[in-house]
Order: sequence, then structure tokens, then C-alpha cells
Amino acid sequence: MSRDSNYDHHISIFSPQGRLYQIEYAFKAATASTTATAVRSSKNNCACIVSQKKLPDGNRLIVADSPTVSNLHSVTNSIGCILTGRVPDCKALLQRLRYEAADFTFKFGYACPVSVLAKRVADLAQVYTQSASMRPLAVQTILIGPGEVFKVDCAGHFLPFKGTASGSKEQEAINYLEKITGNFEDMNQDEVVRSAIMALGSVLGSDFRGSELEVGIVNGNERFRKLTEDEIEGHLNVIADSDA
Amino acid sequence: MASSGAGYDYSPSTFSPDGRIFQVEYANKAVENSGTGLGMHCSNGIVLCVEKQRSSNMLVPHSTSGKRVHSVGKHAGMAFTGFVSDARQLVNRAREEAANYKETYGSHVPPAVLADRMSAYVHYFTCHGALRPFGATAIIGGYDPDLKEHALYMVEPSGVSYQYYGCVAGNGRQACKTEMEKLNLTGKNVSGGDPVTVNEAVKQMARMVYMLYEDKDDAKKDKLELEMSWICEDSKWEHASVPSEIVNEAIEWAKEDIAAAQEEDDDDEDEDDVMED
Repeated sequence: MSRDSNYDHHISIFSPQGRLYQIEYAFKAATASTTATAVRSSKNNCACIVSQKKLPDGNRLIVADSPTVSNLHSVTNSIGCILTGRVPDCKALLQRLRYEAADFTFKFGYACPVSVLAKRVADLAQVYTQSASMRPLAVQTILIGPGEVFKVDCAGHFLPFKGTASGSKEQEAINYLEKITGNFEDMNQDEVVRSAIMALGSVLGSDFRGSELEVGIVNGNERFRKLTEDEIEGHLNVIADSDA
Repeated sequence: MASSGAGYDYSPSTFSPDGRIFQVEYANKAVENSGTGLGMHCSNGIVLCVEKQRSSNMLVPHSTSGKRVHSVGKHAGMAFTGFVSDARQLVNRAREEAANYKETYGSHVPPAVLADRMSAYVHYFTCHGALRPFGATAIIGGYDPDLKEHALYMVEPSGVSYQYYGCVAGNGRQACKTEMEKLNLTGKNVSGGDPVTVNEAVKQMARMVYMLYEDKDDAKKDKLELEMSWICEDSKWEHASVPSEIVNEAIEWAKEDIAAAQEEDDDDEDEDDVMED
């Protein structure tokens, strides 16, 4: 594969094959991170994100339960997100997500829908792929709202999903989810959580403890929140019992 | 794999084929080549420390200029390693952020917010082709007077920032990090030592820095200066320099402790020799 190495230094240069290499490199940076899965049920208006929680470089001197270590964030009361990729890019994007959602509410007087927010973020990402001076932010975003899951990538693609994943093992997780996708619609909040956890478990191939996972849920009855460690343990126990 | 950079390393707005941004990594290298800076979150406060080499005998020692630890607002402090001039810009920005926060919200900026804003600011310079990343790492210690909690953060040139129990940056970071992990900073130490207090931290940090200089020649040891500051009850939870008597005591203790450890090692070696006979 000729890498057209003269054409990959700048975002604004196409290669003779019509590829934008800088975006592909940004993808590489964005997917080199912990894996997360997200599942939704549109009939029962609920969705869930599950992500791996890891201390950066295994550094035990970092405060593990500090918000600085988490990838899972609330954007508004009814929108949650997980941002994976380069950490400082994720932070910058989170600020922007929160601002855009709040600005929408300020201007139009009602809560920003997930699809509108996803489109806005995607448009921003696209601008970075067309400006010479800025680089794309190496971040993969999964946004969830009641009954909705959107994934936005660094090139500015965004699509709604029944179930999706991001991070280093995303393809395997997506393959797992594709096999069970027929069942999502009938699931309630708890079952949605368990599907997402099982998808992550199958990919990472290990048993989890509650402290190694972060789970965020949102549905029509409650605002976006993260589950406590006990709640996560509860789900893990149910999964273990049903396997046994 | 172009791990050497080789053409992908001229601009912060260029990704390499493996998804790295070399300019940011090089900025980190600039920090790695500089004097060590440390921060510790203790049970009763925060201690920050930076080591300096007095570059000329004509310079006034312990003067108020050329400091590497700065106050930001009343209840927060920043210690720097790396390019001193880049660091100055960051201090100015931090002070603006703190003043801005106070004016807008009416209370002192919590350390978490300050760290967040500094990391966003630093990150901005890693995105644009016309700019370069800051060649400095900031260790931010602060106290939130409303929540009555103290916290420690470190912001790196890439914009990454985490909350720490103990953090080090600069050329002595590997050695000092190993030493820090032996102390009971997290409250979950397996060796069961007592949780570290600020006074203990001052001594331990002096010891860590002097250990780095153990094998260096005396000329360098003489030029070594420690800048230390803390936020604790004794300073009324305001960011203040550690009083020089306490720093000097700590340095004396550190030197004795290192000498004693050295003797023990020598004794052990002698014992081994005896046993071989």
C-alpha cells in the first residue's frame, strides 16, 4: 500500500487516491483508549453507556474516584455522553457539548434533543477537517438520551444506533451487539444495562468488579445519572447467576 | 512505524501515522529535562516543592524574583517545571481565571475548576498550527473554603490533568514517584504507615530532592535551592511559603537521613565481606 507519504502531513491535502490521511491518523488516536458500549431501547425510552474504568498508566497516586479520571459525563439533565480518545481533546469537546446544549435551551426555550446536539458536534468536527490551521480532535463521542444512542466520530460522521461501542475493542463489541440486537426493543432499563455490560465483558474477556466499570443511564423517568458501585455489583450478580 | 517523527513533528496540528502528536510529546520532553517539581496531598494540607539550581553566584539567593511557585488567588498555588517563561504565561492566565471566577461567582475558585480551566487553556495550544504547546507542567494545589477540602492537580503540556495524591514532574520524576508510593498518601497504604502530614511531607520532599543529588558533585549540591510552599491550617489555609526555618530543618534532616541510609548500606556490604571469609 503506497502511503502517499507526501500527502499526509496536512488535513487540507487529499492524496491521489482521494484519502485524507490526517483524519485516518486522528481515528487511530481516537480509538486507542478504553472500550465503552452503549445500548438503547426506543420502545421503553431508555439507554445506557458502560465503560471500563482504568487509572491512567496504572498510576496509583492518581485519585481514582475523582471526576478527572472518568470518561462518562452528563451534558444536560437528559443527555449523557462518553468521550474516548485523547484526554485533553475529550475535555475540550465536553465543554463545547455542554455549551451547545445550554445555548440551544437558552435560544429556543426547550431541552436540546440528542440528535440536534449530535449534528452540531459533527458539524464542528467537520470544520476541523477542512481548516488548514486546526487539527481534528481525536475523540469518539457516544451521546445517549431517553431511547436514543448517537455516535459521532472525528470526521464528523454521526448516526443513531440501537447499540454501539467505541475504543480499542470497538469492532468486537459491535459484533457481539449485532448478534443480540433483535432483543433490544423489548428490554427495560435494567436489561439494557446488562446487555451493555455483557458486551463489554465478552470483549474484554474478564470478570468485572463494580469498581472497574462506570455505568450511566437515562430514561423517561429519571435524569442522566451514573450508577453507584452497589448498583453495578447488583447487575453483575444477576448476570453471573443467569450464566451459572 | 514512524516513531522518529520524521516530518510529522513540525506542527501541533499534524497527526503521525500512528495517531501521535509529536509536538506535544516534544513539549513533554522539555519538561522532562528540567528541574524536579513535586506536590503532595497530605491529610492536613497540600505541599508544593520545586528544586532550583542557582545558575550564578552573582544571583541573590531566595529572592522574590525568579520564583517557581506562585500564588493564584488566596487559596491556590502553582508550582512549575519546564520553560520558566512559558510558565510565567500560565501563571498570568491562572490569576486571570481566578479573578474572573471571583468576580462572576463571588467565591474563591475551587482547585478543580482552576485545574480544568488551565488544562483547557494549555490544550488549546496543542490544536493550532500557528501555535506551539507550552513547555511547562503546572502542579496546582488549592483549598476550597466553602467545601473545606484541599486538592492537588497536575496539568501537563498536552492538557491532560488529573487529581493526585502525589505527583512529580521533571528529571527526577521516576525516582521521586517510587519514593512517593512508599508513603501513605492515599490512606490505603499496605505498609500501614501513618497518613502523611504537611510537616512530614516537607521533610520527605527535601529528602527526595537531595537523594536525586546524591551522586552529583558538590558544586551542584551547593547551588541547589528548594522552593516550598503549603496550604494548611498553619497558613490559615492560604497559599504561603513554608517558613525558611522549617525548610532548613527539613534539609538538615534529609541530609542526615540520606547519610544514615548510606552508612547502613556500607555496613551491609562490610557484613557480606566478613561472611564470605
